[in-house]
Amino acid sequence: MTSFFDVLIGGVFHASVLFLVAAGLQLVFGVQRIVNLACGSFYALGAYFGISAVGWATAGGLPTWTFLPVLIVSGLVLGVVGLPIERLLRTVYKRDEAFQLLLTFALVLMFQDVLRFFWGANPKQLGNLSMSYGKVALGDVSLPTYNVLVMLASVAIAVSLGWFLQRTRHGRILRATAENREMAAALGADVRRIYASVFTLGTVLGTVGGALVVPTAAASLDMPVELVVEAFAVVVIGGLGSMRGALVGALVVGLTRAAAISFYAELEVLAIYLIVIVVLVARPAGLFGKPVE
Amino acid sequence: MKDAPGRVLLVGVAIVVVALAAFPKVASPYYTTLVLPAFGYAIALLGFNLLFGFTGLLSFGHALFVAIGAYSAAVLTGKLGVKSFEAIVLVAGIVAVIAALPVALLAVRYVRIFFGILTLAFGMLFHSFLFKFYNLTGGDTGMRVLRPTLFGTDFKELDKTTFLIGPYYYECLALLVVLAFAMWRIVHSPFGLHLAAIRENPRKAEYLGVRVHRFRLLAFLISAFYGAVGGAILGVNIGQADPELAYWTHSGELVFMTVLGGFASFFGPLLGAFTFIFLKSELMGATEYWRFFLGVTLAVIVIAFPRGLMGLASDAWTKAVRR
Amino acid sequence: MNVQRRKILRGLGAGAALAAGPYLGAPALAQNRPLKIGIIAPKAGIAGTIGECGLRGTLFAVDRINAGGGIAGRKIELVVEEETNPKDSIERLRKLVLQDKVDCVQGIVSSGVSLAMGAVAEEMKALTIFWDGTTQDGVNETMPNPRYVFRSTDNECEAVMASLLAIKHWKGKFATVAGINPDYSYGRNNFAAFQALLKKFGVEHKVVADQWPKVGTLDLTSHVAALKAAKPDLVFSSLLFADLPVFMKTAYGAGLMDGKTKFVFPAAGFQHTLLKKEFTPEGMIFGHNTLYFDIENPTPLQKAFVQEYEAKYKDYPHWEADRAYFAMQIYKAGVEAAYKAKNAWPAQDDVISAMEGLKIESLGGPGSMRKDHIAEQTFYQGLTTHKNRFDFATISDVTRMYSDQLQKPQGTDFWKWIETANIKL
Repeated sequence: MTSFFDVLIGGVFHASVLFLVAAGLQLVFGVQRIVNLACGSFYALGAYFGISAVGWATAGGLPTWTFLPVLIVSGLVLGVVGLPIERLLRTVYKRDEAFQLLLTFALVLMFQDVLRFFWGANPKQLGNLSMSYGKVALGDVSLPTYNVLVMLASVAIAVSLGWFLQRTRHGRILRATAENREMAAALGADVRRIYASVFTLGTVLGTVGGALVVPTAAASLDMPVELVVEAFAVVVIGGLGSMRGALVGALVVGLTRAAAISFYAELEVLAIYLIVIVVLVARPAGLFGKPVE
Repeated sequence: MKDAPGRVLLVGVAIVVVALAAFPKVASPYYTTLVLPAFGYAIALLGFNLLFGFTGLLSFGHALFVAIGAYSAAVLTGKLGVKSFEAIVLVAGIVAVIAALPVALLAVRYVRIFFGILTLAFGMLFHSFLFKFYNLTGGDTGMRVLRPTLFGTDFKELDKTTFLIGPYYYECLALLVVLAFAMWRIVHSPFGLHLAAIRENPRKAEYLGVRVHRFRLLAFLISAFYGAVGGAILGVNIGQADPELAYWTHSGELVFMTVLGGFASFFGPLLGAFTFIFLKSELMGATEYWRFFLGVTLAVIVIAFPRGLMGLASDAWTKAVRR
Repeated sequence: MNVQRRKILRGLGAGAALAAGPYLGAPALAQNRPLKIGIIAPKAGIAGTIGECGLRGTLFAVDRINAGGGIAGRKIELVVEEETNPKDSIERLRKLVLQDKVDCVQGIVSSGVSLAMGAVAEEMKALTIFWDGTTQDGVNETMPNPRYVFRSTDNECEAVMASLLAIKHWKGKFATVAGINPDYSYGRNNFAAFQALLKKFGVEHKVVADQWPKVGTLDLTSHVAALKAAKPDLVFSSLLFADLPVFMKTAYGAGLMDGKTKFVFPAAGFQHTLLKKEFTPEGMIFGHNTLYFDIENPTPLQKAFVQEYEAKYKDYPHWEADRAYFAMQIYKAGVEAAYKAKNAWPAQDDVISAMEGLKIESLGGPGSMRKDHIAEQTFYQGLTTHKNRFDFATISDVTRMYSDQLQKPQGTDFWKWIETANIKL
């Protein structure tokens, strides 16, 4: 029983991390129809900057336990980086999607060296800070409280995003713009501001995600390109553009990975691709995606 | 009047071919060795652009076929003892077409961005496969590609570098010319016109009786063949087939090269392959932050010069002619 | 630099060369052409940190050598290129050899690149000294009898030593073992070597878990959960990239390190400064390969190096710096020995012959180059301790072994050697 629960928790934790990366992707695609290859880069940026922020905070005299709010704030602040990047992407909005994708690929290339320039080649980590909130016991299993907080944060973000998109006026405008850009513009929506805010929100989701996860992991230079693959698996399974799809897709990938690791370790990565193919054969648009020509 | 551009084109092509043939005689050995991957990429991109420029499908997993080409060369020369370069190139292409079939069947149902993401996933699937089944594929260390024979001759007396910048260079150049000519015919055939129609307006094409999926599939298969031929050329040049050939950023480089040269032109990708190889090599020698500058180059092309170098060239030509 | 300055410098150089002593015979001017050495090392990605440390070792070596007058009177000029994947790295090699016309190429960390590059270097007859990256697979096919390529010690040396230490310290104290190793040739060979040695020394064991995380995975919660569920007595892990500190933290957080389980980390030294005391308990076997920076009674050379490294980079070196230093020193020694024998500037073949069998003092201790072009070096492993002035774990109870006890002799197959050789504990 212990091992089953352990596997489950491990899978859910990984899913939480994936969701944070995928949520930004889905939001930006849903409204702007842009697939952002640089989603992993934002995530890595959030991770590295989070570590620096905690370093400054500690040096500035803040007590250790404040590292979580420091991380969240650093992630939010860094999201500002989305604004100039969106401005850059704006130059190709009217073009074919291929060019938008390519521009995000250019960003990936640039970010790799930006990260290295500012933070160097050594992987960075936050020591054992993730343990400073102690452990929590769930039945037979004990895990760091911090991990539980990350999972809760993920859920909280999912719920607030959902609420934002479904219940607020802003969210409804966003969804309308996603459905039909011209119509929304005709009805008075300021599409330009919407795009800027959506992209920035997507960026923030990435940077906050990276900052939140870094205490349990590390920041390393290969993160930007590695993360993209899993994030894409999540959105393909869940359906491009769907928040629900991001959540479910992340759970599917996280739990499949955990199950594979526990029962047939060799299969780990291949199992996820297998699921991707199965989902695509059965439901071409992903579980929650809209069918496209 | 109509023949004039055609004749100009022919003369232009002839000049380029002669220049390439003369290159090893005038340039340093190092720069000549750089032209070899350019040949490989040029061929791979001819196929890639059939899919992208002509059919409108952006594949972000095309490196998959380049890798298949290199690994086919490794298996043929290393494990099966087949040394004939001509056989290697042909078999590599066929293997790629066979591998492309299930991928294509799944992927051509999608368009645009979905196609890009799917192909990225398939490319990475192959990358993982190469790592995991290390007994078959050599895992992260890859597989050796032995020196092939060219038209039966093994050139044993030449060391590898002399072989590469000598007879191998010329055979690859010939291969490029032949495959480019074949692609030219494909693109200007009714098949090619159908592809263009599908790119412009798939629904209309479907309505007019064009079997959209079938044509896309065929284009995909042809592009896979070309990709693998390019990969085989690369494999012989490096002497090793390794999994990083299939990584998605390598696919990204293929797209980069095509757009750099100009995807809307037949010769664009060829120009892009050569330019990119030399650009990357010079950047790598000049600065340790070459990825950044490559990224900036790509961004500038995408934003300001979407039709690439060929677009710039043809604009300049038009201006010159108008005067 | 203008012509006037160049002339003056040349004059100074000639003067210095004259003053340098016995290494001169040939006209002074010819001697002052610098010796070009190409370095190919990773700068980005997962191995970027390793390449960086190695390059620092090279720079330390070159600074000292040049301050001492250079190699046989010629100063070293470095041309540094980046190691990426085999395809691009081979292009850089070609540039170094064909374009820059370097006299020697040093570097390389990745096994895949070293295999591909070794074959090319041999064909180009380019004297190449690899820092690292040699596994057992494929080497026999690509470099059966290397003439121009010199390789570092086998990658499995640390696995052999760690296994021997585990058996020595804990034989009879563990029945079940688990492995969590990176999913590529290094990880696989390490774990296989461990199991082969257990078998050889008759240590009864049962493998209860066998994890193969993708290289560099940063989320190991599920892996740790699986390990825990299997309840192993001993865990063998050759994780060595950013995934190692992540594993340490995660395992510690999951309660896997509460003392009941023994741990063996043959390659922990790569990330040693990230293995903070808070989650790295004492009593684990750590491998520091050919350089343990905090050893008791270090040689003056090592002491100077570690001090300089700490002052300059605010960090502590790991063994890649030693590999790089060794490569540079063995080349220097080879050139100077050949020079002395010939009493004129040696040809490449002379240098190669001179390097075979040569012994030198590297940062981490004595080393030498075998006739089959594989290096021999001194290895250091021990048990983790918190009794130090740092915030990360170091080792005590340090065992020191020369690689002739840890790697296969010339011409044998690694796996057969493990089975049949007389390996002492």
